[in-house]
Amino acid sequence: MFEDIKKSRQKQFLFLFFIFLILYFFVPKNEASYFWRLPPLLKDIPLIFNTLLDNLMFNWFTVPVWDPDWQMYEDKTLFRIITRSISNSVLFFIIFIREIFLGGYQTVSSILGDGITKTFSWLYIPALPWTAVVIGAAIIGYKLEGIRLAIIAGIGFLYVSVFGQWEPSMQTLSLVLFTAPVCFILGLSLGIWGYLSKRVEATLQPILNVAQTMPHFSYLVPIVVLFGVGDHAGSIATIIFATPPMVRLTILGLKKISPEVIESGLMSGCNKFQLLFRVLIPTARRDILIGVNQVIMQCLAMTTIAAFIGAKGLGFNLKVALNSLKIGKAAEIGICVVIIAVVLDKLSLAWANKQKDYFANLGFYQRNRLSIFFIFFTIICSIVAFFASYYFPEGFNYLYLIPFNKGLTVSPILDAFVDWIWNTFFYYLNTFNIFLLTNVLGPMKQAYLNMPVISTFLLFMGAGYIIGGIRSCLIVGSLILFIALSEYWDRALITLYMATFAVSVSAISGIIVGSLCSQNNFASKSILSLCDFFQTFPSFIYLIPVILLFGITDTSVMIAAIVYASVPATRYTVEGLRSVPPSLHDAGSMSGVSKMQRWRLIDLPLALPHIMLGINQTVIFALMMIVLGALIGTEDLGQLIMGSLSRPNGAGIGFTLGIFISFICLAVDNLIRTWSNERKKLLGIE
Amino acid sequence: MLNDSSTIGKEPVIKCESVYKIFGNNAAKLLANASGPISAEEFQKAGCIIGVNNASFEINKGEMLVVMGLSGSGKSTLLRCISRLTDPTSGNIFIDGKNLLEMNSKQLIELRRNKMGMVFQSFALLPHKTVLENIAFPLIIKGLPTDESITKAMEMVELVGLKGRENYFPRELSGGQQQRVGIARSLAVEPDIWFLDEPFSALDPLIRKEMQDEFLRLQDSLHKTIMFVTHDFDEALRLADRIAIMKDGIIEQLDTPDNIVLNPATEYVKKFTEDVPREKVLKIESIMDKYNQSLAGNNTVSKDAIIETVAESILESKENLTVIDSKKNNEPVGILQPSKVIKVLFGK
Amino acid sequence: MVKFFKGFILASVILSFTIFGSIAKAADPIRIPVLNWSSQIVMANVMAQIFEEQGFTAELVPAESASRYEAVRIGDLHVAHETWESTMALPFYEAMDKGGLIDAGSHDLITFEEMGIPNWVIDEGLCPGLPNWEALKSPECAANFATADSGGKGRWLEGPYEWHTDVMPNRLKGLGIDDLWMVKFAGSADALWAELDAAKKEGRGTVIFNWSPNFTDASGFTFIDFPPYFEGCRLENGGSLETTGCGSPKGWLKKAAHIKFPITHPAAYKFYTKMSFTAPQIGLMADLVDNQGMSHADAATQFIADHRDLMDLWMN
Repeated sequence: MFEDIKKSRQKQFLFLFFIFLILYFFVPKNEASYFWRLPPLLKDIPLIFNTLLDNLMFNWFTVPVWDPDWQMYEDKTLFRIITRSISNSVLFFIIFIREIFLGGYQTVSSILGDGITKTFSWLYIPALPWTAVVIGAAIIGYKLEGIRLAIIAGIGFLYVSVFGQWEPSMQTLSLVLFTAPVCFILGLSLGIWGYLSKRVEATLQPILNVAQTMPHFSYLVPIVVLFGVGDHAGSIATIIFATPPMVRLTILGLKKISPEVIESGLMSGCNKFQLLFRVLIPTARRDILIGVNQVIMQCLAMTTIAAFIGAKGLGFNLKVALNSLKIGKAAEIGICVVIIAVVLDKLSLAWANKQKDYFANLGFYQRNRLSIFFIFFTIICSIVAFFASYYFPEGFNYLYLIPFNKGLTVSPILDAFVDWIWNTFFYYLNTFNIFLLTNVLGPMKQAYLNMPVISTFLLFMGAGYIIGGIRSCLIVGSLILFIALSEYWDRALITLYMATFAVSVSAISGIIVGSLCSQNNFASKSILSLCDFFQTFPSFIYLIPVILLFGITDTSVMIAAIVYASVPATRYTVEGLRSVPPSLHDAGSMSGVSKMQRWRLIDLPLALPHIMLGINQTVIFALMMIVLGALIGTEDLGQLIMGSLSRPNGAGIGFTLGIFISFICLAVDNLIRTWSNERKKLLGIE
Repeated sequence: MLNDSSTIGKEPVIKCESVYKIFGNNAAKLLANASGPISAEEFQKAGCIIGVNNASFEINKGEMLVVMGLSGSGKSTLLRCISRLTDPTSGNIFIDGKNLLEMNSKQLIELRRNKMGMVFQSFALLPHKTVLENIAFPLIIKGLPTDESITKAMEMVELVGLKGRENYFPRELSGGQQQRVGIARSLAVEPDIWFLDEPFSALDPLIRKEMQDEFLRLQDSLHKTIMFVTHDFDEALRLADRIAIMKDGIIEQLDTPDNIVLNPATEYVKKFTEDVPREKVLKIESIMDKYNQSLAGNNTVSKDAIIETVAESILESKENLTVIDSKKNNEPVGILQPSKVIKVLFGK
Repeated sequence: MVKFFKGFILASVILSFTIFGSIAKAADPIRIPVLNWSSQIVMANVMAQIFEEQGFTAELVPAESASRYEAVRIGDLHVAHETWESTMALPFYEAMDKGGLIDAGSHDLITFEEMGIPNWVIDEGLCPGLPNWEALKSPECAANFATADSGGKGRWLEGPYEWHTDVMPNRLKGLGIDDLWMVKFAGSADALWAELDAAKKEGRGTVIFNWSPNFTDASGFTFIDFPPYFEGCRLENGGSLETTGCGSPKGWLKKAAHIKFPITHPAAYKFYTKMSFTAPQIGLMADLVDNQGMSHADAATQFIADHRDLMDLWMN
């Protein structure tokens, strides 16, 4: 029998599950027993973190700084001086970019001193009329690619303006225009560094893992403590979230370069600098561009969250709209976020793909034609806007800036739509909701809470052992142990229960939808765009309609999580299935398989390693959304993470629990990745 | 490409003195008490892998040395030692009499920018640059003004017959065309030394033949000093002035093609030469007899002609032929009995 | 190569921060937090406009309701102008104890935050006897307030846990009705309002946490009459199980300021301490935006114009 078990992985899992059940039912629920719950030996971690932060900000390495307000020296810690000067420079750039669009005197006054703008009231950056920006965007689009991109960029900005979201959109845009390049440069630099040095890569890897899997809300408070509130804080939070994919993709891209290309660069006489910038980076361009796309998507996905710590713009307006249940308005704002993402993404892509023409022998006018156009139109638009101010008596100059309550709006239609869904489906949904809560979610939650700690460990470490041997077993075990030794184990179990449910449903629906859509080109493309849409469309917006439909219950959290977490499952399924070589399709068809058989016997097994990576992402997405679900009302780790935002000493607890969530992700990640890599090797894909 | 002393300078352009390249941590220890080739057991014992094992040779100006060997024989490693893409573990390499291994990175870059060109098996073109930009790349790196580089690159485009495709991207070209770009790029800085690392191995046979012809045509007019690496013995025979056959890092034999075919030095070399049709390799020179005025016939044949190319006319003339040296005023140097040709063609 | 690159990164980082850290000594505007409800945003705009009238510059910074006290304490924000006693007293006093935050007086109104029911619940007779809390003792009543996940009990929807921690669960115990009712914590104020809407649509009773003045006043909301509050009645303030059923106290609406604010911006601080709005005024601020469709800035301009004499009084 044991020989049998050694051979078949399936039987190993069955055996593991069998022991799990025995432990589950026979370990007594005795609070004193370590088999039931471990003692909270690590409960001081949040406190230690707080103390550390406190000391860094207020006690250690103090230097006396002259305070002109008090007229005396004040002790400030070196650390605080450093973080605040970072804040200052970040804020300076954001405001500078913002004032190019919206005008203002802060840039001038921060360079020339506060008094100067009061003495010379004309000394400020004038705002660009929105018409000029729209034309400018179209001209850039035209210059970079052609008429198609010109239309996309122009209409995108036109929408933003006409729907009255100009000011917040430009605020968000200025934040992104600073943050995205920083993420890009930072990610590229770290990626190159990691590529050049094995040690750096080994150090980066776990940091990236944690940064990518930690819920945003858990590092918002530490950022506020370190950097203060405001646009700079929002920008820094975004940088933490958006840089890791850039680093990863850079390393990936550089590693893929064939050694011969590098040698050819060397033989062409490149010095190190030229080799890096002329050969390595451009050759890894494909992956680096995917990185840029990710950076832009992530930056805009963060707009709402950045608003929690002081970022102005669409995210903040979204929160205000949601607070008064204006779902239609919120959706309009959300669409603006998506539009900005799409336009920036397309422009950056076109810029990177732009070709140089060596043979055009152009005069000054022809070379600078578009710039001249732009200046010309800006002047015209400004003049028109200036005169127009006499024609709009109520004080709003529509040719300069359309205020948010004066723009077009379709929100009544959207609201009516939500109402219609509500009226039409409410009773069916309610029945479903009650069924789900009483028969599935409730019992499931209880079952998780009744799980002795020993059996949880057995399950995770056993799975680790079966999949990846003793190494995986220990890694997974120590990640879980960290959580088990805290006082939040029960909450972690609730998080785990929600994650299990959300991930299973998302994975199944993602794989089904993905498989159906991958059958033809058009459907694949459409579903991938839809995935992009849901990745940038602020998830806050569907939290509210979900509450309306399902009440303040776990169902609402689940639905929101499933909507969001199905995105990667679907995306990876489509990509995985599309990359199955056509020759194998043909081979399958020639052996006479039906479509269904082909999917089950050929496509799915081959695509499975890739799909599993999607499931990996699904786990991360689901956990992020479950934490966000605390805004609806949950009793898990997420509730405390969200609550840490409004606690005076929330930094420690929020951060620690964030690490817990991250560890859950990493444990799952380890299992899935080990399996997937082994499988890929076996199938000869790579 | 004739192995003729008159067209080749006396000063070797490349000179290697017992070059070793050993991979592994114990390489230095292994070398400390070694002279001459190190045996396979010793490597195994030290846990090292051999790349190049005691290579010494010279390449003269305008000469083409083809390094032939199967994969893993160390031929590419040897090439990379000489271009210093990897540093040899020990030994000396001289380029135009200057010690390559003592050069600092600045001198090395200077050398590569002005004296060396290299062609790669997988073409190694920059995917984001057009044909023209790829070819101009070494010039721009060298610091030439852009328009000058582009003009020069355009000349190279024409030289390799890619005119009209200069704005294509590498991915839009066939393999043969891509390698033409690779060749043009390596020649753009007008190097004296030309390294080719299995340049035609990735191409299909017809294209390969065409590219070899093209290559010979280029070399005919350029007279570069060439080190050419291949795993294809036929290719080596077709192109080389001299061939170095490598196995496990050791140069088994280094000689002219006909000498290798006629007198294989080791069993290993013999395996390659056995199946080679001699008439395709041997020159008249190698089967002629001493010049003897009384036996000489009226018809003449050049001593450098490959037998295959002249066999038909030789066999048609029943009598002996006079072998002449076409480079020395057709001075008669030997006589040729047609029966010898028959021997080469049909028997041992 | 590694060395070269390390040097390259290090140099550029140091360079950029030394340059910009020094020149970008940003002008110091008065930073006013804005939260996500209308009256608070309009009041922030009113203050900003008055400060600018006084010759200062003002900046509105989006913030979170409780974490802003830490920001005020450190000096990242200058003021926190709407501080509700029951939900924000805790972080307010904690920040004050740590030093850096000062109490700049109260608004001229009494706030009330309590569990309550929308008026239609009374009209429909879902729980006869409300708003008297004794009505909650009836099992039939509790059943009308049950939801799918409340285990057959009636559900109280409390605000986020951090607002009053265990006060409401304790209250249920103190009143002896915890076998009929349970407390569910909503995750945010948004969730409370969504529940108000949803319960109405469903015709299901709901007991939810709310406060006044608030925009829900307009659609009719009644607070439940609990046993009166007295100092120390709650368990966490030293009360016993018998007394912890007490209701909420009438509360203040305070203004907080950073400790340096009086020195750096004396005139602005003077206005700030004198500034004191009444409940109808705060209601008007919300009304201008929510019902009349003005932008927050316009509503503030309008409000200042309508209350010019008051503003002038506070300014001098």
